[in-house]
Parts: sequence; C-alpha cells; structure tokens
Amino acid sequence: MILVVRRPRTLFRIKSVHAFSSAIFSTSGCLRGLCTMNEAGLDSSIGSSAISDEDLPVLPPIAVRNDHGCSFSKVQATPEIEKKFVHSVYDAIAPHFSSTRFAKWPKVQTFLNSLPSGSLILDAGCGNGKYLGLNEKCYFIGSDISAPLINICQDKGHEVLVADALKLPYRTGFGDAAISIAVLHHLSTESRRKKAVDELIRVVKKGGLVLITVWAREQEDKSLLNKWTPLSQKYVEEWIGPGSPRVRSPSSSIALESIPENDENSFGESSDVKSHQNGDYSSEIETNSGNQQEYFVPWHLPYHRAEVSGASVNAVANGLARKDDKKGAVVYDRYYHVFSEGELERIVGGVEGTVIVDRFYDKSNWCIILEKTSQ
Amino acid sequence: MRLVTHNMMSSNIKGVANGFPLLIEAAQVVEKEVDFNADFLKNIFARIEWKALVEASKTMGYSELLDNVESSMLDSEEFLRKFHHALLEIHLEEGALVCPETGRKFPITKGIPNMLLHEDECTVFVLTGHDLYHSCGTPGVLKALSIAVY
Repeated sequence: MILVVRRPRTLFRIKSVHAFSSAIFSTSGCLRGLCTMNEAGLDSSIGSSAISDEDLPVLPPIAVRNDHGCSFSKVQATPEIEKKFVHSVYDAIAPHFSSTRFAKWPKVQTFLNSLPSGSLILDAGCGNGKYLGLNEKCYFIGSDISAPLINICQDKGHEVLVADALKLPYRTGFGDAAISIAVLHHLSTESRRKKAVDELIRVVKKGGLVLITVWAREQEDKSLLNKWTPLSQKYVEEWIGPGSPRVRSPSSSIALESIPENDENSFGESSDVKSHQNGDYSSEIETNSGNQQEYFVPWHLPYHRAEVSGASVNAVANGLARKDDKKGAVVYDRYYHVFSEGELERIVGGVEGTVIVDRFYDKSNWCIILEKTSQ
Repeated sequence: MRLVTHNMMSSNIKGVANGFPLLIEAAQVVEKEVDFNADFLKNIFARIEWKALVEASKTMGYSELLDNVESSMLDSEEFLRKFHHALLEIHLEEGALVCPETGRKFPITKGIPNMLLHEDECTVFVLTGHDLYHSCGTPGVLKALSIAVY
C-alpha cells in the first residue's frame, strides 16, 4: 500500500499557555484547524511511498505519545471525543434539542408502517423518542445513552432505557425489527460503527429488518458544510486515534496552536469558532477537501434555555461550550463522522448473516435496510 | 419498566456467560393500562422466557400466570388478557435489576433502567488496522505506532 500524505496546510505557532488545567480543551480547540485530513492515496501529486519528515506536521509530544495499547481500539470503552462532544452535549441540550425534533422523516415512517402488526421494534439511539409509537400496531422499546433524552421519552409514556448502542443489554434475536436513526455518525471509529451495526443485527430475530440512517458527506445543501468545523488531522489523532486523549503538556509550558485562517469570513454560523486576529495567516484553509468526514457541528442553545440548567454554565467554564453574545446562545460542538457514499454498505458487508434489502440516499442521509438471514 | 422489557434484557457485563434473567428488586410497582394488541402477544409469545416472566410478575405482586403454557393457549382470550397484563401493564417504577452472575445492580429510577456499564465492565481491546489507518492519521504516526507495538 502506498501511503501518501499531503503537506499540512496550516501554520503553527508557539503560544504560552497560562492555565494548564484547561489544557485539554484549549489545545483541542486549537487543534481544530491544524490541517485538513486528506485520505491517503487520493493525492496523486506526491506519488511516492517515501514520507519525509517535512511532509508531516510538526507534532507536539502528545501526538506520538503511545501507551502500549495504542494500536488497539477500545471498541466498547467510549472515546473521550464521544463523551465530551456527543454525550455531554446531548445531555446539556436535551430539552431544546427535543423541542426542535418533531418532524418525522417520511422514509422512517414508511419503513415502520411496512412492518407487520404486532412487531416489536427496537430503536437504538432513540433520542427524544420521536419515532417511538409511530406505528400504532407495533410495540416499541427505545434506548439512548443520554439519560436526559430518555427522561423526555419516559415523560411521553414510551418504554425506554438508558443503554449504549454498542452494547445493548438485550437477548439475541428478541426484536422483530430495529432502527438506528442518525446515530452511527456520532461514533468516532470504524470499529465502533461496525460494532453498533453488529448489535442491531444481533438483537433482531432471523428474518428481522434493520433500518440505519446516517448523515451523508454529500449534503444537498453544500453551504451547511461551511457552518461546520472540520476536525483537523491532528485533532483526529489526538481524540479519535489511539490511547486516551489526555493532553500531555509540553514540559516547558508551551502548547502548539494552529491558526485557522480566514475563519472570520468563510464560516457562517460557526465563524465564532475561534478568532485569532492574526493577519498573517490568510490563505489556505480550504473550504473543504472532498474527503473530510470528521466535523464539529454547532448547536446553538439560546441563553433563555441555557439558563434553565446550570450545565451550560459549567460547560462554558470547562471549555466545552462557548458563549455567542451576538446570537444570544451558548454554542456546543457535536462530533460527527459524516458517511461517504458506499461506506455504510462497506461496514455492513462485514457483518455475517446479513443481506442488504434496500439502500438509498434521501435528504442528505445515507440509508440502508438490512435483513438478518441467520440466527 | 415493563416486564416485556425485563424479559428481553440480559446483563452484558464483560465475562458474564448467562446474564438472564436479571433479578428484580422492586421498591415501587405501578399499573398502567395499555391498549390490548393480540397480534403483539401472539407474535412475541414464542420469544418470551415464560419461567422468567412468571417469576418476575410474582416479584411484582401478580401471580395469575400459569407456570406451564403452550402456544395453543393464545386462542384463549382469558389467557391473552393475563399475558397482556403481566407483560405490559405492570411497571417497575423504582428499584433495581441485578445481574444474576455478578450481583451488579442496575438502578431503575422513575421507571427507567440505567444499563450503562462502567468502563472496566465492558472494555474489549481489538486490533483494527483499518481504524489505525483511518483514525490515527498520518503514516508518520502509523509508523510510530508500529514501532511502539512491535
């Protein structure tokens, strides 16, 4: 295999960090713009397997730090990036999120309505439960890792529990069908995404159907991408990659900081992400390479909602969220891995005893319907 | 939590060979009426571990279920009504589910079981080259990793 790496597109500068206790977040924030991820092999401009050091970003000690298990993915231990940029975000925004999540997606409804009367439908990652009970002739059980979202479901009278979609506490083959709507894109490694598919298949009976939908990299509204913050290669290494993402601070009280260029203008909603007012880095953060799949997608929690829970105050204090006075909102970042065309099929292809019944693209989502063909 | 959910659930703590059925510690039980759905009862019957359902419903204070049943009983309205009641209308509001092997308790609060595991109860290490390649980033880092591993 020929590995090719493109020269990083971002500049670094050394910056003193005064408060090291917050190094994790200040650093991670800084890392967002470090360099764009280009999938190896797609860049033919450097057609060589030779990687010289200068092709690589200047890595701070943290990047190469390796505990021995580094190359081992902790499939089921939740990575920090998901805890901080998925779970805790949904916990914090649950009521607001829920109040905005009422539109039922027709394709999901169609799927649910196609199931035989009396089916048991398992919704893994049910969020605020908007699909629970959608087919009155069927029985639904929902689960989500976010207790605040599950509380909302419970208040609506749904049968729900708090559980991890990667480790459903269910007997094998108990359900007639399972759905995973907009869940897999919050998982940060391929093995975790595959594990979640394995679980969906495991918990349905032979002949049972599984509907999975995920956000597509290929968004119908391209301008959305500009509102998202691409996760830098560096960030991906640090958080999604091996080992625990504890930032090992450089001994000399310095940290690397990237300077995302022209972020004032090129980002829409997320222009607030960071503004380093340094004029000398103006050129080349690319609006987006077509290969970028890791993003932070902002969630604006209006102040009047944020004040309800002290969680947001803490989140801001801890660097997990930021205030945007202009918008009057606390801004949270949610981690997304947006799926490329064919990626779902590829993941599913590795799951034994499964056939793809249908696959389609709709409203910027990739969708797939599977049938379990063995016990 | 309804008993249909209890009958579906199983402790999934790492190393547990048989996590079913979870033991029930009932602190508060409530009954809520649910629409009768014979299709659902007939469909799910074959997957219900009957003994576990009988035990669970007794723990919850309902002892109308027969110990031995067979599918022909699904034609009986009386049977279906009792099955329906046990499966769907008795809720464990407060209490806990207990792993039969480890004794680990999963709390139930306001009717919601919290089945999340601690990391040491679930961590499994799997070597995945694909993750390495796609998530660890640059070949340089990959190289560093291989050195560290091998």
